[in-house]
Amino acid sequence: MQSHTITRRVFIGASTFILSVPLLASSFNKQRSLIEITQDGQFFSSSELTVLSDVADIMLPKTDTPSATDAHVVVILDAMMLSWAVTHTQEQFRACIKLIEDLATQTYDSVYINLSLAKRSQLITELDSRAFEQKKSNMSVNYRRLKEMIFHIYYTSEQVATDYVAMPGGYAGDISKTEFEAAQKRGYL
Amino acid sequence: MSQSSSQQYDVIVVGSGITGGWAAKEFCEKGYKTLVVERGRHLDHPSKEYNDMKAPWELDNHGLAPERLAEEGHYGMLLAKKGVLKSDSIQFFADDKEYPYSYPSKRPFMWTRGYQLGGRSITWGRQVLRWGKKDFESNAKDGHGVPWPIGYDDLAPWYDYVESFIGVSANKDGLDSVPDGVFQTPWEMSSAEKYIAKNLAKTYSDRRLIVGRAANLTKPTAQQSALGRAQCQARSHCQRGCTLGAYFSSLSATLPAARNTHNLTIVTDSIVSTVDYDEARGKASGVTVIDAKTKEKRSYKARVVFLCASALGSVQILLNSKSKRFPTGLANSSGVVGRYIMDHFTGVIAKSEVLGLEDRYAFGRRPIATYIPNYRHEKAEDVDFIRGFGFQTTARERPKIATFGKKSGIGVMAKEQAKQDKPWEFKALMYGEMLPYYDSRASLHPSKVDQWGIPQLHIDAKLKDNERNMIKQAAADIQEMLEVGGCSNITIRETPPNKHLMVGNRTHEMGGACMGADPKTSVLNKWAQAHDVANLFITDGACMSSCATQNPSLTYMAITARAADHAAKLMEQGQL
Repeated sequence: MQSHTITRRVFIGASTFILSVPLLASSFNKQRSLIEITQDGQFFSSSELTVLSDVADIMLPKTDTPSATDAHVVVILDAMMLSWAVTHTQEQFRACIKLIEDLATQTYDSVYINLSLAKRSQLITELDSRAFEQKKSNMSVNYRRLKEMIFHIYYTSEQVATDYVAMPGGYAGDISKTEFEAAQKRGYL
Repeated sequence: MSQSSSQQYDVIVVGSGITGGWAAKEFCEKGYKTLVVERGRHLDHPSKEYNDMKAPWELDNHGLAPERLAEEGHYGMLLAKKGVLKSDSIQFFADDKEYPYSYPSKRPFMWTRGYQLGGRSITWGRQVLRWGKKDFESNAKDGHGVPWPIGYDDLAPWYDYVESFIGVSANKDGLDSVPDGVFQTPWEMSSAEKYIAKNLAKTYSDRRLIVGRAANLTKPTAQQSALGRAQCQARSHCQRGCTLGAYFSSLSATLPAARNTHNLTIVTDSIVSTVDYDEARGKASGVTVIDAKTKEKRSYKARVVFLCASALGSVQILLNSKSKRFPTGLANSSGVVGRYIMDHFTGVIAKSEVLGLEDRYAFGRRPIATYIPNYRHEKAEDVDFIRGFGFQTTARERPKIATFGKKSGIGVMAKEQAKQDKPWEFKALMYGEMLPYYDSRASLHPSKVDQWGIPQLHIDAKLKDNERNMIKQAAADIQEMLEVGGCSNITIRETPPNKHLMVGNRTHEMGGACMGADPKTSVLNKWAQAHDVANLFITDGACMSSCATQNPSLTYMAITARAADHAAKLMEQGQL
C-alpha cells in the first residue's frame, strides 16, 4: 500500500485558521485517494473521522472551489459535536457512519475505506438519492441531518464563503451583473 | 429586609429599552435628576457582546444555537419561532425557563424579552411607521376597546421630534395611512420590488408597495455624529448589536445623550417588584426593587415615576403593586389594568418569483424590508371584518440555488448548482390588526412565582372571528396583488381556522393599561398619565388603546417624549 504522511498544516490548510480544538493528524492513501485520520478527535474516533472526512469530500469535492477538507468541515463538525449537538444528534451521526460502513459490506463485501474512490462515490450517491426518496426512514433522517450539517459548515466557512462582504458600505438594489461583480471584487459599494 | 436609598430623584424610569431611554433623555436634558432602573445586566456601547463584526465562520457553532437548549427546555418560545434563535444574538434574549410566565395550555402566548441595559431596543425590527389619523379613530368609530383620547395631530410634532433624533431613512410616499415625516435618504428598492411596485400602482389607487422606513442612519446629522453614531454600512447584522451605532437603540443614542447631562443614574440587575404608593399623599413615592443577584430588597424615591418596562412588564408591576387604596393593583380603580392585550398577527405567508429580471442584481444587505400599508381601514360590503392588514414584504437580494444540504444531490453537480443565481423571490407576510378585546388579559398567577418571589404573569389572549376572517381575505388579496404585480409561481400559506395562532408572535404586544378619556374605563389619560395616580406615567406598549397594523415603537417613543414634556411642565408648576 502506498501511503505517506502529510503535515498537519497541509490537512488543516490556511495558516490563519484558528480552532479551539487540537489539529488532527492524518495520512493520505494515494492508491485509494483517501485521507486517513490517524488521531481520535474530540468526539469521533479516528476511523469515524476517516469515513466522515471522505463522505464530506465526496459530497463537496475540490473543483475550482475548495473541498470539504480544504474548508476543515470535519474538524469543525467534530468540535461541534460537543459544543452544539445533543446526545440524539451524536447518535444519529454515528448511526449514519455505521450505515455507510454496513452498506459497503453488504454491497461490496468490503469495509468502506478499502473501496476505491469510484465505488465510495457510487455508494454515497446512491445513499443520497434514496434518502431523499424515502424521507421517513431513520436512515434518511440521519443521513439528511448529517448532510445538512456538512453543507452548513462548508458554506459558512472562510474558505468557501469568499463572497461574504463584511462592510458593503451601502445597498444598490438594481444593478447589472458587471456592476455587481465589480462591487463584489472591491468588497464595498 | 428592605433598604431605602437616601438619594431622592426627580424621576424614576423603570426600564431602559426604547421608551425608557427616551424618558431618561428627556428628563435629563430638562435638568431633572433621573434614575433608570433596569432588571437586566449592564451593557456598554459598543459592547463586547455585540457580534456584528464577526464573519459567519467566526460565530459560535457557525451561527447555530446549541441543541441542548431545546433539549433542556430553554428558550422554548423563541425556538418555536424558527430561525430567530442564533448564536450571534442569543445573549440579548431572555430565557423563558429562567424567567417563566404562564398561559392557558391550549393558548400559548409568546412573550419575547430582552433583559439587559437597552432592553429590546438592541434587537428590534427598526421599521418605524407613523400611525395615520384613521388608526387613532378606529376604536371610537366601531366601538371596540376604549376610544383614543389623542389623535394623529396631537402626536405629529412628537413624531417629528423623535424622527429627527433617532434618524429615519425613508421615502416620502404621500400616504395618509403612513404619514411622511422627517426622513434621511431612503434605501433603494431592488429591481424586483420596483417592478412589482410599478405594476401595483398601475392597477390600484389604494395599494402601494413602498420601501421600509428604517431607524438606520443613511445621512447622520451633526447631533447623531456627536453621539458617536455612524452611517449604516448595509451589513444587516442589526440584531447582533451595532458597533457603529448606525441603527437607533437606547444604548447607542438616548442613554448616551442622557448621560452627557450628568443628570443620569443607572442601576442594573435591579428588578422592580412594585411601584410604591403613599396613601397619605395619594401619589407614587418610588419603587421597590429586588437585586437580581443577591435578592435583597431596596427602594428608591422620586417625585415622578415613568413605567417603561414593556407592555406586559409594566402590567405585571402595576398588578403587583397592591395597597389599601388599590387592592387589585396600582392605578386600577377601573379594573382595566391587564385588559385589552393585543399583538399583530400573521396568518398568511406568500412566496413568489419575479421572472424576466435575471440580468439585474443587488449588492449589500439592506437592513429593512418593503411594505404594503393597510388599505382596508374602511369596511367594504363584501368582507366580514373590520379594521385591516398590511404586508411586510421583501425581495432584497437575488438568491442563489445553494442547496445547503436540504435537497438531493451531491458532488460537482451540486456545487455547480449552488453557484447559480435564482430568479428574484418576493415574499409577503401579513400583519393584521387584532381588536382590543376586554377578555384578552394579563393577570397575576394565583400561585406561581418567579425566583425572586414575584407572581408570574398569566397571559390569556386569542384571536377571534374578526382576525380569522381577515386572514382569509389577506390570502385572497395577496394572491391577487402578486398576480397584478407580475409575479409567478405564487404559493400562499394560510393558517387554518382551527390552528392556534400565538398572540405575541410578532413581538408587538400592546395594551394592558390603555389610554382613554374616562377614568372608569381606562387607566391613563391623554398624557399617558394614570387617572388614579397623578405622578405615575406609563408610556410603553401598555398605554396603547388599539394596535393598528404598523410597527408600534415609533409611536411609543412619540408618546413618551410628549408625556415627559407634559410631566416636566407639571413639575415646574409644582403640581408633581
